[in-house]
Amino acid sequence: MSLASLAHPRQDFSYGFLDAFAKRELRRRMLKAIAIPGFQVPYASRELPIARGWGTGGLQVTLSIVSPVDTLKVIDQGADDSVNAANLRRFIARMTGVATTTDTLAATVIQSRHRVPEERLREGQVLVLQVPDPEPLRQVQPDSSRAREMHADADYAQMWLTLYEQLVRFGRFMQGASYPVLVHGRYLMSPSPIPRWDTPALHQAAHLTLLSAGREKRLYAVPPYTDVRPIEFEDVFFQVENMAGRICMLTGARNKFMDELPVAEGGSQFRLSDTGYAAKLLRRARGDAATLGATYFDDEGHFYQPGVIRHLPNRNGLPEINPV
Amino acid sequence: MSMPHMTPAELRQHATFTALMWAFSYPGRPQRLPAAGLAAFVAIGETLLDLETGFFTPYDDLVPALAATGGRPLPPIHAPYQFYPQLTLAELDLLVTAPLGTYAEPDRGATLVLGCGFAHGTPLHLSGPGLAQPLTITVARLPDALWRARATVAVYPLGWDLYLVDGDQVIGLPRTTRVEVG
Repeated sequence: MSLASLAHPRQDFSYGFLDAFAKRELRRRMLKAIAIPGFQVPYASRELPIARGWGTGGLQVTLSIVSPVDTLKVIDQGADDSVNAANLRRFIARMTGVATTTDTLAATVIQSRHRVPEERLREGQVLVLQVPDPEPLRQVQPDSSRAREMHADADYAQMWLTLYEQLVRFGRFMQGASYPVLVHGRYLMSPSPIPRWDTPALHQAAHLTLLSAGREKRLYAVPPYTDVRPIEFEDVFFQVENMAGRICMLTGARNKFMDELPVAEGGSQFRLSDTGYAAKLLRRARGDAATLGATYFDDEGHFYQPGVIRHLPNRNGLPEINPV
Repeated sequence: MSMPHMTPAELRQHATFTALMWAFSYPGRPQRLPAAGLAAFVAIGETLLDLETGFFTPYDDLVPALAATGGRPLPPIHAPYQFYPQLTLAELDLLVTAPLGTYAEPDRGATLVLGCGFAHGTPLHLSGPGLAQPLTITVARLPDALWRARATVAVYPLGWDLYLVDGDQVIGLPRTTRVEVG
């Protein structure tokens, strides 16, 4: 037996950049997070060659789960080509040899900052969401130790009070992104700063969602087919952003989440936030081959799971959409 | 700068972790481990254990391999990871002392890796997160008292997270999975 036969060839970096101890710890925490949906599991967030606050939480999770047989998509606010997404994608590919794509349907792992793709994710896909602040109780309880006790007691009364105060003062829920949700009927969870439009996509989803905050050193998960309910009152319901009447200036798409672009003459134009989906729509419009997946919201703005987004009946007994 | 490659150990641990991750994500669905029999327990041990954690197993032949990970041998009342290749009624008395976690730290509930058979045995009706529809599996070589203990001792969010191993197959039953026997 020689030393060379016992040691593997020298490498400049560990596979996936993180050392074996870091990956093992992350994997232990991820398994616990999946077993306790919505519970924030602490972990020893490692240093990476990007600054905390730029997606290090999501990056550590992705580096721990991908392998060369995976296909990776990285998006930032829906865009595959933003600086943050491009840098993260390049780094992960260099450190793991993973194939990359902009097609949601082709990806097995999707790391995202602040969006869920428009096309429905399927079983076997992992959505990794970057989280700046994992604590949904932060606005009512700045002391994280006390907030942890509140989670232990399932004491979320102050969040309901905050919602009520918003209704009294402003006539509607003021929370935009990071709208708090109750996971599996037990833990209040921040779904990361995804718009309300994307929040229902986590409910009874076929895919696995992993959320990780590198700066705050906590990760949590939503397993497939798990109840994820935005907090709402019995007579005032959670509503998604109103995209009615917004038409994508490039693709003509309707009732999808749009970026608003101010124009010099006043007013706004709109463009699909999900650039990978937009690119496929454009390819199809040119007559090129493009496989489009079913989307969470259809062209009429109906969510694919009936009853998840509720509307009060109007005087005629028909659902009435409250524009927000 | 050359792209790093997986070492054989990393390849094995990644494959094991992937199986464990999907086993918890879709409870009741068998996932394939990169090793079979007792080696499957070792593969799970080397994927989850190191200097930062500890383990318990009543199976003496397994102790050296698990200790080689750096994990500390602990009594069952403290061990976060426990391995029972064959769970007898006597060992069940040890198992029921496994940590359940606390309301502040439910993640301290133990992970239990249990040897069993999937081909036939007691029908278990599963429901809960990860299951689009209720699912029935059959499990042999596990005492029914295990399921009674799991239902009475462990109340969500406290509880044990179970991996059932048969050959190179693993089925996950996280604490969220409701199990009805019969």
